[in-house]
Amino acid sequence: MFKVENLMYKYPKNKEDVIRGINFEIKEKEIFGFLGPSGAGKSTTQKILIKILEDYRGKIFYNGKDIQEYSDEFYEEIGVSFEMPIHFSKMTAMENIEFFLKLYKNNANIEDLMKRVGLWEDKDKMVGEYSKGMKIRLNIVRALLNNPKMLFLDEPTNGLDPKNAMILKDMIREFRDQGGTVFITSHIMSDIDQLCDNVAFIVEGEIIEMDSPRNLKIKYGKRSMTLEYKENNETVTVEFPLDGIGKNQEFINLLQTKDIETLHSGETTLEDIFIKVTGVALRDE
Amino acid sequence: MNSQLAILVKGELSRLNKYGVFSISILIAVIWGVVLLLVNSDFLAGLLPFVLFLDATMMSIMYIGAEMHFEKTESTISTMLVTPVSNKNMVLSKVLGNTIHNLVSSLLIIAVFFIAGKAGWTYDVGFNIFVVLAGVIIATSTFTVLGLILSYYQKDFTEMLVSMFVIAIFLMIPSVLLMLGVIQGEEWENLMLLNPMQAAQNIIIGGFPNEAGELVFGFEYFVSLGYILFGGLALFRFLAIPKFQDYAVRQSGV
Ligand SMILES: Nc1ncnc2c1ncn2[C@@H]1O[C@H](COP(=O)(O)OP(=O)(O)OP(=O)(O)O)[C@@H](O)[C@H]1O
Ligand SMILES: [Mg+2]
Repeated sequence: MFKVENLMYKYPKNKEDVIRGINFEIKEKEIFGFLGPSGAGKSTTQKILIKILEDYRGKIFYNGKDIQEYSDEFYEEIGVSFEMPIHFSKMTAMENIEFFLKLYKNNANIEDLMKRVGLWEDKDKMVGEYSKGMKIRLNIVRALLNNPKMLFLDEPTNGLDPKNAMILKDMIREFRDQGGTVFITSHIMSDIDQLCDNVAFIVEGEIIEMDSPRNLKIKYGKRSMTLEYKENNETVTVEFPLDGIGKNQEFINLLQTKDIETLHSGETTLEDIFIKVTGVALRDE
Repeated sequence: MNSQLAILVKGELSRLNKYGVFSISILIAVIWGVVLLLVNSDFLAGLLPFVLFLDATMMSIMYIGAEMHFEKTESTISTMLVTPVSNKNMVLSKVLGNTIHNLVSSLLIIAVFFIAGKAGWTYDVGFNIFVVLAGVIIATSTFTVLGLILSYYQKDFTEMLVSMFVIAIFLMIPSVLLMLGVIQGEEWENLMLLNPMQAAQNIIIGGFPNEAGELVFGFEYFVSLGYILFGGLALFRFLAIPKFQDYAVRQSGV
């Protein structure tokens, strides 16, 4: 659906490229994730794909046609949620939505959407009086109000509580299941892991690795079994590879002879893999 | 007017209303009414052209600057960029919204002065309403476009005030001095034709009769009319629209 070839971008004021020759393809009906630390170029890439930043180098195709050849009708088919919630604060949520709704040919069912994100009750409140999380949820409604074919979501769960983040992730999955395509950026590993069919690791404007979360785990992850047992009043921890564990004599011995406290199977998380592959932490903690 | 533009203009007007600018206009008109009633001064009544001129020029720049500044703080323009709205319609809707607001504002003031004249609070300022309104509309649109372009380059509200101050000193005050006869002479009058403030003043004052009670449309009137009309169109076409995308991206903060 979207094909990006050797994309490079430099902000007018800067000397150096912030996007340095990236290639990727977003297939129809998939959720494609951009995972990377702050400043990696996630938002910049999104802004290029949605034709806000124009002076890029490289080629971008949407449904086989160069995006530069599309005029404003391009936006009939896409929905965008920016990093920051953006609304007219002196208008109510519904006035905001109704204003934007009229600009599109295609209109979604707003009542359903507003109910889904839990804003229907507060639809007549001034957006200026909304909490941050409410504004973010309204952002999602705004992105979906034209029944887009493709969604661009820049850090959509950032600032949401776990319950609302869950609702949002369900909505994104449903959107995909109903035939939609999604581009999502995040530095939150679990979001990407739970949602994405394919993920690109981006660091300093370059894609370091790209695959499905599952394949990445198979490729880089090590699966293991961790065992904790008590010996001489002390807890001892040992780790065994998960593969062939049933024939691992040492493991079986321990199980049979020791006083086992805990037994876990562990998978490497996407975050671990990210650090391993890129050598960079997702957050400075 | 295509339907997209109509929706945008309606949106502009309802937002201007939310920001309270229509209430301010009504308030100002009421204050003028009270002043004219209480002070009973013919001098004040004679100020009508000057008030309309200020509204169409300085106030237009200020209103559009304030609106753009406010939108900047809300980053709403970046959302508009990802809707199927063309930049041209977006800019045009701002110009039309501001012009309609100022037209309403001017009509209120005109009505107040008219009533004051008819009710005998002041002398009856005669004028040709069509010429006056045409002048107001054309001057307002052009100065709104000017204010819009200035706002592209202003970082904050303070910079807007500074640019208004500069315009007032270099463009408005000379034209007021000429009007008051402090500076005189044909050379000044001709030179002043280059001053868009002066031209705006000429096309509004054109609707008011001279001392002999006649409307006179001389060389100055038509030069000013052409200057403001085509100057405004050129600014709109060659600066306001092409520079909009840049501005919107720069301030979007998305
Ligand atoms: N308007 C701008 N002008 C100049 N440089 C910019 C601008 N916006 C971003 N940058 C630079 O481009 C690089 C990439 O920024 P970008 O916003 O794309 O990062 P990101 O991956 O989205 O980060 P985050 O997770 O913090 O949102 C950064 O080095 C940033 O400083
Ligand atoms: Mg970002």
